Amino acid sequence: MTAAAHDQLQKRLKLLQDRFIERAQSDVETLGHFARQIEQQQLSRQDLVECYQLLHRMAGSAGTFGLPELGAAARSIENQLRTVVEAKARHAEWQDAPVALPADIAMQIHELTALVQKGTDETKPESTHAHPRLHQAENAYEGSHGMKVQVMALAHNTGYLSNLMADLQGYGFACELILLQESEAAIKSLNKRSGATILLCQDSDLADVLGFRSDHIEKNEHRRFPVVGIGRQNTFESLYHVAEQGATAYFSEPLDMPALAERIESLALERGSRPQGRVLIVDDDKELGERYCLVLNNAGMKTKLVSDPTKMMSALSAFEPDIVLMDVQLRAHSGVTLARMIRYEPRWLGLPIVYLSSEDNPETQLDALAKGADEFLVKPVTDEYLIRSVRIRCYRARQLSDLMNRDSLTGLLKHSLIKQEVERELARCRRSGHLSCVVMLDLDHFKKVNDTWGHGQGDIVIRTLAHLLRNRLRESDTIGRYGGEEFLVVLSDCPTEQAKELIDDIRARFSELVFTSGDDSFQVTMSAGIAAINDFPLASEAIEAADQALYERKQAGRNGVSVYQRQDENQDD
Amino acid sequence: MPYEGNELNKVLYVEDDADIRAIAELALQDVGGFSAKLCSSGAEAVEVAPGFQPDLILLDVMMPEMDGPETLKALRKIEATQTTPVIFMTARIQRTEIDEYLSLGALGVIPKPFDPMTLADEIRRIYQELA
Repeated sequence: MTAAAHDQLQKRLKLLQDRFIERAQSDVETLGHFARQIEQQQLSRQDLVECYQLLHRMAGSAGTFGLPELGAAARSIENQLRTVVEAKARHAEWQDAPVALPADIAMQIHELTALVQKGTDETKPESTHAHPRLHQAENAYEGSHGMKVQVMALAHNTGYLSNLMADLQGYGFACELILLQESEAAIKSLNKRSGATILLCQDSDLADVLGFRSDHIEKNEHRRFPVVGIGRQNTFESLYHVAEQGATAYFSEPLDMPALAERIESLALERGSRPQGRVLIVDDDKELGERYCLVLNNAGMKTKLVSDPTKMMSALSAFEPDIVLMDVQLRAHSGVTLARMIRYEPRWLGLPIVYLSSEDNPETQLDALAKGADEFLVKPVTDEYLIRSVRIRCYRARQLSDLMNRDSLTGLLKHSLIKQEVERELARCRRSGHLSCVVMLDLDHFKKVNDTWGHGQGDIVIRTLAHLLRNRLRESDTIGRYGGEEFLVVLSDCPTEQAKELIDDIRARFSELVFTSGDDSFQVTMSAGIAAINDFPLASEAIEAADQALYERKQAGRNGVSVYQRQDENQDD
Repeated sequence: MPYEGNELNKVLYVEDDADIRAIAELALQDVGGFSAKLCSSGAEAVEVAPGFQPDLILLDVMMPEMDGPETLKALRKIEATQTTPVIFMTARIQRTEIDEYLSLGALGVIPKPFDPMTLADEIRRIYQELA
């Protein structure tokens, strides 16, 4: 195609886009009318079908005209309506009764208007700044919360993956869909990122995506950009082919969404360049110690140097390392004795201690090992060797402590530990004066889920909520599984209003997720109670208050969030 | 865009939405280099097909009156399109549905929304792999 022909084509495309936007504006008006009927519980069966068809049409066309977000949002609502539409079609006798739909759906429909508006802004480059408020509102949330997992889909054709990306967005991931033929933007944004980004593609595009990665991203960075293939086949040959090409993971149709979400999340956590370990270095040679710190910091680990051994015990409690790196021959103290001292504290019985020593006599090494050290690194060590051996020990130490401290189904903190976290947060609040919240979450009618769909499905629901929480909360927040279907969250430095907004957003997102069991699908909701930790003298009372708020929420109607109101409010206090 | 130079040249697209027809025409003719004919309903397709003699037919699944699968049945009864390869275009891609369309004899299924810049490539790919 000549350049002139290409320009001509772009102009015509643009015209069609403008025309589509006009149509979309009138469509969202019609939809808004339906939304108001939903709010008033007056939507007739026929209107429901019309609304559904309109959304279906929008879902299938908006992407073609350059409004993929509008299409994805319409599809999400369409999916939520589908079960209702299909159920109504089977029961002709309900024909005349209005259809009851959650008000949440009406809200989502109203939100489509903003997406059309956004599309107008984006297709008119001269007015990109005309609606700063709109963009800000979208980003504000990210500013306060969100250690979001990044997913980038790359394709020659956006159709198939745009649906998948919309679904993944429902799980709380930050999703982008980029055409391989327009990959400059992708390269720029990938090169700027510090964490991991999961690259997603269809198996037919796999070779191109892997080629794209090796062409544009330095080889030592590939780890941070694992490629996940999606395909239609699940035969040995197809899997072997995908593995041979170098995909990190592969999922085939029909997609098990919770499993896919889980894999993406664990890849992001595993591959991210966030600190991969905490190392306390005990060495009275300050220069050497600082050098070790520097080497390990550069490899992504967090370090703390103790050059005065008398401060070692307090440094341990404050820093809470994964491992200790100890020089064996300090000037005034013996490393071996210091290691034994560390073991006096029951808390540090499992802490790995690694000696840095110039001692290469195996007899002496053994003696030191017996006295409480776990391993020897013989000086001089090369930087690379130091990094590798420390990293692997940190990894093992974390695995071990995770095994002991974390719930095996969800990977969240166990009951006793999350309670401790509330206590620690209360102490931190008292020290620094910030406001924090404790949140009790509970799945609604969970017994019914187990009874109807089986415990396997019930587990999937629990794991899915765990993922969503991890994705939507900050790293400084702590999340635990409190009971069977109960979760306890500590939101550090977060006042109750903000906490309510945040948890309510998670609640809304969770209620949108569709779980499938065979050909059937179902949705689950959750309720939450929030209490301000600072209001209570004891952590256990704060937890009880959150539980009380949750109970009140459940009484007043589920699928919502309530904040604990103190009854004994005393103005003189 | 290099034209692959095989027998795939004439494409018939049946779609009830006028805006989609307009952009599909661009995607097939201007971007893809096909000779394309657009129809707004299954009935129109049945009328047009014998004269146009398409090499490939694209059918939207959800259309009023005659939907995609019904249109396919009607086209199979006409001599000109008895064996013409058909691809369904659908906004609902569920495995059970895809299987259903394939069992009707469709060559493939293209999900909507499609990308106008790559629709033709996608069609060629499916056609070359399977036809």
